[in-house]
Amino acid sequence: MDPKARILARVRRALEGRPKAHLPPHPHTPLPEDPVDLLLGRLRENGAEAKRLSREEAKAFALSLAQGLPGAAFGKTLPEDLRPPLPELPPEEAPLGLSYALFAVAETGSVALSSEEGRKAQLLPPTHLVFVEAGRVYGTLLEALEDLKALPAALGLHSGPSKSADIGQVMVKGVHGPGRLVVAVLIGPG
Amino acid sequence: MRARARLYPKEAARLLREKPGVREAVTGATLHFERNRLRAYGEVPIEEWRERAKAVKDHVLTHLDHYLELAERRLRENGVRVHWAETPEDAHRVLREIVQRHGVRRAVKAKSMLTEELAVNPLLQALGVEVYETDLGEYLIQLLGEPPSHIVGPAIHLSLEEIQKLFHQRFGTPLDAPPEALAQVARKVLREAFLSAELGLSGANFLVAETGTLALMENEGNIRLSTSLPRVHVAFVGLEKLLPRFADLALFLPLTARAATGQRLSTFVSLIQGPAREGEEGPEEVHVVLVDHGRTALLQDPEAWETLRCLRCGACLNACPVYRQTGGHPYGYVYSGPIGAVLDPGLLSLEEAYPLPYASTLCGACYEACPVRIPIPRLLLTWRHRAVAEGLTPAWEGAAMKAFRQVMASPALYRLFSKALRGLPLPQDLLPLLKAWTEGRGPLKPSPKPFHELWKELEEAEGGP
Repeated sequence: MDPKARILARVRRALEGRPKAHLPPHPHTPLPEDPVDLLLGRLRENGAEAKRLSREEAKAFALSLAQGLPGAAFGKTLPEDLRPPLPELPPEEAPLGLSYALFAVAETGSVALSSEEGRKAQLLPPTHLVFVEAGRVYGTLLEALEDLKALPAALGLHSGPSKSADIGQVMVKGVHGPGRLVVAVLIGPG
Repeated sequence: MRARARLYPKEAARLLREKPGVREAVTGATLHFERNRLRAYGEVPIEEWRERAKAVKDHVLTHLDHYLELAERRLRENGVRVHWAETPEDAHRVLREIVQRHGVRRAVKAKSMLTEELAVNPLLQALGVEVYETDLGEYLIQLLGEPPSHIVGPAIHLSLEEIQKLFHQRFGTPLDAPPEALAQVARKVLREAFLSAELGLSGANFLVAETGTLALMENEGNIRLSTSLPRVHVAFVGLEKLLPRFADLALFLPLTARAATGQRLSTFVSLIQGPAREGEEGPEEVHVVLVDHGRTALLQDPEAWETLRCLRCGACLNACPVYRQTGGHPYGYVYSGPIGAVLDPGLLSLEEAYPLPYASTLCGACYEACPVRIPIPRLLLTWRHRAVAEGLTPAWEGAAMKAFRQVMASPALYRLFSKALRGLPLPQDLLPLLKAWTEGRGPLKPSPKPFHELWKELEEAEGGP
């Protein structure tokens, strides 16, 4: 017998006579707050910067963030109209990465990033600017996960800057991933 | 990993004697975690969450064969290669084949307790692979050649001064370099490793059967990098890590984060469905190794099977007044603290892990902290009963307990003995129980009068209660 057959046989033997436990349903508790307000507040509490911008303002904001920098790395799914006129750099060298989130979750203060847009721009630059459409902000994680129909190869939920307290219990930012997370929620037609 | 759990009492005493700083560092860190957990639990209907999480995990465990087969099917549909390992040797065979086929020279590794069980690092080194632990705490203890001291904070036993000294010797940083500077040095070394490694290794917090999703939680970004940059990703997953439905993550991710660190969600969550798709960045090959290593035996145990619900959040370690004194090292196996004391006898054998169920005051704080309501205090007693039944406890203990019961049940005998113990010089080196106490401590000094006499005097002085 191979390991799989032996393992499954032992599992079945172990479960003989054991009462089967019932699987509880998911409880839906909708949030009373406006999800965008809540998202911005929770992101800030998580140590991120968070803004509500029109699409026009968004591009100007990206440019202001890139002031004095040689360029930026762009996620592949970033819409053309949001792409600031900046030189494109490989993520390994870029001081700034720009992403377009699949969705955001208000209660946890998270943006969801798909592997479809390329993962390096999400992880390697020290500063990460993420755009997300206001219409793609969910109140709860449960709503977001239940609504997700097609899963990408990898989905990353980012809820703040990379951090660690492993050195003497002192909080340090930017350990491996971006030490600065900036989220702009886009208001208006997208 | 070879278990040294039998040495627990000696190792704990030695550590307290020789490294008093560990107690201070571990107490500080765990109380910090504990405060954060209490605050985070207080923000949500936590009892309802815990009950539901327990129910979901019990459901998975009582249908484990079904969910294992479903998960395997979904993983394969997603393009993941699935392997089954009963033993560390099985897991080694899988990994050796992958390393050799891809000519791996360098591997980056995300923190995983299961890979500690399987002794993955020694194998890779033997195969000539350079392994980098990439979680900052795990990197520190790798440099020191130590095992993790805590499930979530592997280096919580180290003081800032010790880490400054380590980096001074290794990288020539100044002895008073601040944590930010040390983290930057580590970031630079490990960034280079991320960009050049051919192999990324990880564990998993959860494996969703419905979708074949691997879920991993972290705060640094090293797991996202380890599972995104190298050509090959291998995840080691314990059989108990399954969840039935994708949406179950909406409970288990926040619950684990709140229990472990008091966060609403860990900073980074990776939900991995398989290798990179056409034209995408990411690993070409993703392997999942489903590992038994004692779990099916534990599932068979009519009582201890409940430990398989464990999420590895470390909340019970942070809540434990015994763990706090020493950190994890004296426990002598991968899992320490209260969960280690009830899990290790099941994963190893009671004989190998014998003294661990006694490393507790039975105060019950671990049960209150546990996000999936594992009845740790009850299981500690279960293992103790079994230890007595199997004859593992010393012979004098049974006789002493019998005598103790007689004395405690008789007021006359109690008074007699309490007087005698006060009056006579204590044979401290003869009684094993006393010797265990006095080793490394001052001798016992009885109070001049017993409590019941003091109480009587107080009553008389105040004219009755």
